[in-house]
Amino acid sequence: MLDAFSRTVVSADAKTAPVGGSDLASLRSYVQDGNKRLDAVNAITSNAYCIVSDAVTGMICENTGLIQAGGNCYPTRRMAACLRDGEIVLRYISYALLAGDASVLDDRCLNGLKETYIALGVPTQSAARAVAIMKSAATALIGQTNSPASGGAKYRKMETTQGDCSALVAEAGSYFDRVIGAIS
Amino acid sequence: MKSVVTTVVTAADAAGRFPSQNDLEAVQGNIQRAAARLEAAEKLAAGLDNVTREAGDACFNKYAYLRQPGEAGDSQVKVDKCYRDLGHYLRLINYCLIVGGTGPLDEWGIAGAREVYRTLGLPTNAYIEALTYTRDRACAPRDMSPQALNEFKSYLDYAINALS
Repeated sequence: MLDAFSRTVVSADAKTAPVGGSDLASLRSYVQDGNKRLDAVNAITSNAYCIVSDAVTGMICENTGLIQAGGNCYPTRRMAACLRDGEIVLRYISYALLAGDASVLDDRCLNGLKETYIALGVPTQSAARAVAIMKSAATALIGQTNSPASGGAKYRKMETTQGDCSALVAEAGSYFDRVIGAIS
Repeated sequence: MKSVVTTVVTAADAAGRFPSQNDLEAVQGNIQRAAARLEAAEKLAAGLDNVTREAGDACFNKYAYLRQPGEAGDSQVKVDKCYRDLGHYLRLINYCLIVGGTGPLDEWGIAGAREVYRTLGLPTNAYIEALTYTRDRACAPRDMSPQALNEFKSYLDYAINALS
């Protein structure tokens, strides 16, 4: 498993060159935006249950066949497995966001996930849709672009310092896209 | 690669939980010290060749017998390899300063070093002398800020202790 710092080191080692000069710029920005990153991770972990349950519910609402007899979220035992998987995916994304590198997500979550889902008969299209809903919820919470209109009764604004966190929103979004790309 | 973040994530993953408030605080502590580490890494990278040369010279000055026939540095090729190895150690220290942990030195420098040096009949004293010279030669604020120097020296000491 690597983080933003060890990733730089591993690629420098491949060239047997020390890390210096321009390589340090991205690491300095990681350090500078450190608190923002921790707030972003906190936004995901604090709302994990809400993000996951909303995503799975949304996925089912869009395709109610899933909870009819023969559907992949029927009976509750299989929907529970679905909720569990949503939480696992979100957890590895939160690790990747904390580390600033996707290797933990790739190695421990996505490696072989598609093959497993195909073997178990899980519809990857629906799974990808649930991840996409998680993406829009999580990025809205990190960027504080969620609104009472879109959140409804579950609307919640994270109480963090105001500022520009578009880079972190984009980075978090890229990890969700990575999951979608890996399973579809 | 062992670092604060990967340690925290490994522990959280083993327990199957999201990063907790404790984990975030641990990472925050690491980030707070990062500025000094990155400064030390930058200065070391910029002067790596000079530092390596001075360290190698110091070692051959103290152990002049190494250049005699039959010893570890009896030809220019062997001497060059000694300087190359010192450069490797300093480069790994540069990596440790970036990562904020001893992972790179442990994995790429120290693991197996004892066996290799014994097989090749190389004296580790010479390496210790070179790294000790580097440690004592470095000074603040000429080379880097005091806090950065402190980080740099702690990894030098780590390498020295591992070779001792």
